Amino acid sequence: MAVLEKNFLISLAENAVKSALKLGASEAEAYVYDGQTTNIGIELGQISKTNRIIDRGIGIRITLNKAIGFAYTNIIGDPQAIEATAAQALSAAKASKPDPDWHGLPQNKPYNTTQGTFDQKIVDLSPEDLVKITVTMLDAASEVNQQVLPIEGGVGSGYAANAIANSNGIAAFDRGTITECSLATLAKDANTTTPVCFEFDASRNHHLNPAWVGKEAAKLALSALKPKPVPTQTSKVILTPLALQDLFAYTLMSAIKADSVQRNQSPFKDKLGTQVASENLTIYDDGLYPGGLRTAVFDGEGVPQQKPPIIEKGILQNFLYDTYSAKKTNKESTGNAARAAYLSTPNITPSNFHILPGNKTPQQLLSETEEGFIISYLQGAHSSNPVSGEFSVVANPCWKIKNGEITHPCNAIMLAGNIFELLKNITIIGANERQMGSIIAPWVLAEGMKIIGK
Amino acid sequence: MKDILQKITTTAATKFGANYAEARAQQLTKTMFTLKEERVEAAKQGIESGVAIRVLVNGAWGFASAGSLDSTILEEAISDACRMAKLVSQRLKTPIKLASAPIVEDHVSAKPKKNPKDIAMEDKIKNALDITKASLSFDPRIKSCGLDYMDLMGTSFFVNSEGTNIEQDKLYVWARITASAQTEGTFTFSREEIGSTSGYELFDTQPSEELGQKVAQRAIEQISAKPPKGGKAPVVLGPNVVGVFVHEAFGHLAEADLALSSGLLDSNMGKKIGSDLVTFYDDGTIEGAFGAFKYDDEGVASHKTLLIKDGVVSGLMHNRETAQKFNTHPTGNARAEDFRVEPIIRMRCTYMEPKDQTLDELLEGIKEGYYFKSFRDGQASLDGTFQVGIQEGYEIKNGEIQTPVRTASISGNTLETLHKVDGVGKDFALDPGRCGKGQTAFICDGGPHIRVSEVIVGGSA
Repeated sequence: MAVLEKNFLISLAENAVKSALKLGASEAEAYVYDGQTTNIGIELGQISKTNRIIDRGIGIRITLNKAIGFAYTNIIGDPQAIEATAAQALSAAKASKPDPDWHGLPQNKPYNTTQGTFDQKIVDLSPEDLVKITVTMLDAASEVNQQVLPIEGGVGSGYAANAIANSNGIAAFDRGTITECSLATLAKDANTTTPVCFEFDASRNHHLNPAWVGKEAAKLALSALKPKPVPTQTSKVILTPLALQDLFAYTLMSAIKADSVQRNQSPFKDKLGTQVASENLTIYDDGLYPGGLRTAVFDGEGVPQQKPPIIEKGILQNFLYDTYSAKKTNKESTGNAARAAYLSTPNITPSNFHILPGNKTPQQLLSETEEGFIISYLQGAHSSNPVSGEFSVVANPCWKIKNGEITHPCNAIMLAGNIFELLKNITIIGANERQMGSIIAPWVLAEGMKIIGK
Repeated sequence: MKDILQKITTTAATKFGANYAEARAQQLTKTMFTLKEERVEAAKQGIESGVAIRVLVNGAWGFASAGSLDSTILEEAISDACRMAKLVSQRLKTPIKLASAPIVEDHVSAKPKKNPKDIAMEDKIKNALDITKASLSFDPRIKSCGLDYMDLMGTSFFVNSEGTNIEQDKLYVWARITASAQTEGTFTFSREEIGSTSGYELFDTQPSEELGQKVAQRAIEQISAKPPKGGKAPVVLGPNVVGVFVHEAFGHLAEADLALSSGLLDSNMGKKIGSDLVTFYDDGTIEGAFGAFKYDDEGVASHKTLLIKDGVVSGLMHNRETAQKFNTHPTGNARAEDFRVEPIIRMRCTYMEPKDQTLDELLEGIKEGYYFKSFRDGQASLDGTFQVGIQEGYEIKNGEIQTPVRTASISGNTLETLHKVDGVGKDFALDPGRCGKGQTAFICDGGPHIRVSEVIVGGSA
């Protein structure tokens, strides 16, 4: 990978800010992005496709008498194109309306150092190296069982750098790397096709375990064969991190955004300092988690990433802020303004949503559950009500727990309830945490879940 | 642009050993803004230009994209795509081949009645503010509302090594309106999307006030709604829910790449898997529809594709690769979200064909069941399990629509549920939507009202 230099990216951002101010902007901010990925893809059991994507661009946000305008371009080699983009941002602000609640772009603040977010070895990976990793993963899957079909998956490496500058003197650069491998499998017998089963590994550093991914993805598909019907009931449910992430992403994570709270869209409004969850539950939004998939020095506005406590022993501690929502209520930004690279203005988003682990091993958790279900994947979580926290989803695949052991897979069941009640019914938290997208979580046991079967 | 793209495909073939090469370019501008209540969060404009190169070398795909027309960068991209394809081709058991496709030379122009370019951003914002104001003033219990607007305009170019050469205008106008209500600890939420490929005249199809009020009214109605009872029930589905049901319960399984993975429809081709009333199409030719276009991103003309006829599986949605595997013709379903990514099989306008019943006839005879009128997302699984979330629903008692129910969803297995469609209405509506399959695609879903004798309703009561 040929990456762009730190000083070049910072000066691009600084020059864009200067251009915008010269054109008459009251304030200006520029965010420059250089992203590169290489992927080896699996389809229907064989490695058959490859891609290499380079995406670079600049997004310029300006204010003009408290009206906000934004423009972006992916043409960054030409100073005239960047000046034209600054002019576009200005014309957008002129078309917009002043916002009396706008109290300015963020000020320069000292940054924290991050650990484990960049590894030169990933930048140096060749396509040949990535193919080797893919082959290891596929071989491991077929060693488990030839009947398992690896339908999709692959191995990828990525590098992303960003630079930000604003008219308050922020000028910063950060870069990071990631490698990931994933495998989606299904198994078939005479009567059933299993739902898609999935395993993956992702790391900011060059140590993936492709053999483990291949083996586990294959084992998961085999264990989903011959499902049995389940009657409608109220039961205990173990939610694995993937299921928990799906469920939280469309409910709890909306409720803790300051923007939702300020706009009367969160049942957590007026609940700070009160018990909103079981006292087993502690959640930090850890923007500095070592090696975290979303760990970075600064957020999309150049504000230092932090580690705000969200829920401590069940008590609601804090909301997530960007600069706008913080200044509106005399608070400080928690460094949670995320951007879709150069294409968007900042939006409040959790970083590494860390559900602190408990002390039970998976085996202990299963045996203390005695009777119930374990769910690794939810279908339709995005259809949850983002404001009320109500959900009505399908658990597929899911397995029955009997006498403290996982006994057999179940036909798809439906799960209906409300996230704010579920939080209060989490009785045991496992010790087996792992990172999954925006979440770092162990298995959790929720009681009193409404299960709708056949 | 044509010359640059032709040089790319020639270079790939002559210098780097590609057996097939295609080059796509796009030059797009976007206008967007977000309203939160009566506040403009940010007015945004963007330019996205770039080139995608896709090659087949010894039966393996190579792909590279770059946001630049610089000849050195493009040559590097061609070289990378070909080198990587060659590298993985060494292990192929089944080399990829393409079904033949007609060689096309065409220039497709957009002909909007109201070109979004000719409308000042101030006016777009003003019009959108009328919608959010109508939502906010509808009822004091409406506490927030939002609107996201986007228009996208520009040109895409496609050239391949077989001689196809297409220049196609792109035009999309889209908005999403949301509202939430709150009273005494009860929170509700409602949303609506509109979208078109015709032009800004999209906003003339219904008055801004009506649109804002419709979203607000649904949020208000939900306040008194009760959760439905979980379990099996007969349901009547409105066109908006039927569309998503067709999309999630059948559409994804009929995308030929997924059909190959699951084998569910592959093994049922020509077989009856639904009642006589079930006929589905995926149609890319409906003028102005959000999911319509003339040529796909492999340069294949978009078709009206019959998927299931009178309950019998009749066809799948193909790209050139899957069409070759099934020994059939590509259907024009290969779509790429933008120049950064490669085309994959996507739906266009997926719908159920209407029959002859009225809504009253469909409701008749249902002693206890639900009428589900409007959806909120849904998801398919390759084992045939579907889920469709419901944002607006009602109880049916003795053939009459009664009190509202909140946050329901329906689920079942496709191969069982399509047999249970026992009534199909004579009305029809097509709604715009966005489908996620790694990439986002603009689509439409639709159909008439239908009755299903039994689905599983996910309710907490």
